[in-house]
Amino acid sequence: MSMVTSEHLYKAFGRFMAVRDVCFSVERGEIVGFLGPNGAGKTTTMKMLTGYLPPTAGTASIAGHDIMEEPLEARRHMGYMPENVPLYDEMRVYEYLSYRARIKGLYGSFVRKQVGFVIDRCGLEPKRKDMIRTLSKGYRQRVGLADALLGEPELLILDEPTNGLDPNQIRQIRELIRSLAAEHTVILSTHILSEVEMICNKVIIIDNGAIKAADTPEKLTGGLRAAGRVSVEYKGDLDPVMKELSLIPSVKKIIYEGLLPGGWQRLIVRAEPGTDTREKIAAVINRLGYPVRHLYRHIPSLEDVFVEMTRHD
Amino acid sequence: MPQEEPLHSTIRRRNSWLATFKTLYFRELRVYLCTPFGWVILACTMALLGFCLQAVLQIMSKATGEGVMYYMLNNINFWFYFIFIFPLITMRSLAEEERQGTLEGLLTAPVTTTQVILGKYFASYTFYLILWTPLLLYPWMSHLANVYTNCRYGIIAEGEITYLMADWIGPYCILALMGTLFVAVGLLCSAMTRSQIIAGILCTSFMISFYFLGRVTELWGEFPAAPIFHYMSCTEQVSSFSRGLLDSRPAVLYLSLAVLTLALVKRVVDHRRWTR
Repeated sequence: MSMVTSEHLYKAFGRFMAVRDVCFSVERGEIVGFLGPNGAGKTTTMKMLTGYLPPTAGTASIAGHDIMEEPLEARRHMGYMPENVPLYDEMRVYEYLSYRARIKGLYGSFVRKQVGFVIDRCGLEPKRKDMIRTLSKGYRQRVGLADALLGEPELLILDEPTNGLDPNQIRQIRELIRSLAAEHTVILSTHILSEVEMICNKVIIIDNGAIKAADTPEKLTGGLRAAGRVSVEYKGDLDPVMKELSLIPSVKKIIYEGLLPGGWQRLIVRAEPGTDTREKIAAVINRLGYPVRHLYRHIPSLEDVFVEMTRHD
Repeated sequence: MPQEEPLHSTIRRRNSWLATFKTLYFRELRVYLCTPFGWVILACTMALLGFCLQAVLQIMSKATGEGVMYYMLNNINFWFYFIFIFPLITMRSLAEEERQGTLEGLLTAPVTTTQVILGKYFASYTFYLILWTPLLLYPWMSHLANVYTNCRYGIIAEGEITYLMADWIGPYCILALMGTLFVAVGLLCSAMTRSQIIAGILCTSFMISFYFLGRVTELWGEFPAAPIFHYMSCTEQVSSFSRGLLDSRPAVLYLSLAVLTLALVKRVVDHRRWTR
């Protein structure tokens, strides 16, 4: 059984369709990254999964419980960390977490045990008795994460967990999320692409409210236009090289990038995705007797995928 | 019916409506009692009660026959601040949660909207009752004052501050009854907006209109629909209750309206989620 299934979710705010026809499923143990530009519908989709916003049409279920039919049962199976981590400022970390644990149905000594466990897990021990008001952004984020972990939910939904943190804090939170993957299924949204590449084993790209792609990062980058691109720098005449290169079967297009200082010519060779033409290009230029100083096959990143899927120009 | 569900080896949960309600209730009560917020309101109410008492002693030096509490509550000074108590204690409850976004965390936890609203309602109501506890001192203080006068000047009948047992029961009953409705109305105003100020203004204007609806008959005299205005006149109810005349009609009025208002609060909170 899938951990999360979303079937044709729609959400309209007045006339504006924020989310349309979103279908996906998340299996147990996956770490899924929700990617998309600002305003793409990531947060709205997550809010619908948590049952905070009811969908205009369609449905979703968490661990087999429908979010509209059995909202309480569905919520018991998940921990949610909202964007910007709203917390009660006038409470102390320990008090807040105990309160949240009780709300989630824990009782008696289980509250103390669980709170101790999540405080330990999220590195909150030094701030345990501090007022939430006085915490730095990084610690607030951790309190939010600790809150989501309370009650050992099978599913964690984290909305921009690293938003607004400095690079060191981002690394710490990322490590934390990765360590959670062993016991939890995680859905996180972000617009930091490297983050997704590092921790997620499935990516869902969402733009304008609709899913553009959903796959593993490797498969997504593999099928890209950018995947077969090679850049070359050599010293010599332009025309014979251009002519010879265009004879290589997998080459689709050759772009002249200009003359560099010292008489070096720079070319970009576009080939079919998944092919490696470096060897053939080198052979061609060698045959003509020109020196080559640079030959590089572009390794596509999620950023390329993201830009290709979501640019509107 | 608590029902236990083993989730993992380490922890257990129970699904108990009452336990969750109690957790929510005590957190809300904490907001009043563990932050300066509640104590500021309590201190101001105490100070205003003091001013009121000063006026009452002036009145009582001329007219006697009723207890201290009667003059305390049937006094324009009392209404002047009583009206502002409700907006003050309720305006932040839902509006602040909405503004800070904590409502999202609350409503995505396994709790129902009803539990959240009732928790807030009863916490505000409890704090409202706490506000009136210092009033219990007044009959006792009158007694002390009488003892002092008697010792100092000998027994003088005119110097006695009269106080009656009804001083406690009657006024407390009507204050508690009025509280049920007005706290619910305050909560409704708070649910309708994310701004505390707007919630406060809405609630204050409701309080003032409700107060003046009760005084319509004083302005217009008796007319066919006048009994309705007598029925809902809080000044008249306070006057009869503080004389010790307990009446079941205000109980019906306030309790039924309070239940209705709370039902409205639930609709409003849910509705905001449906349309956003």
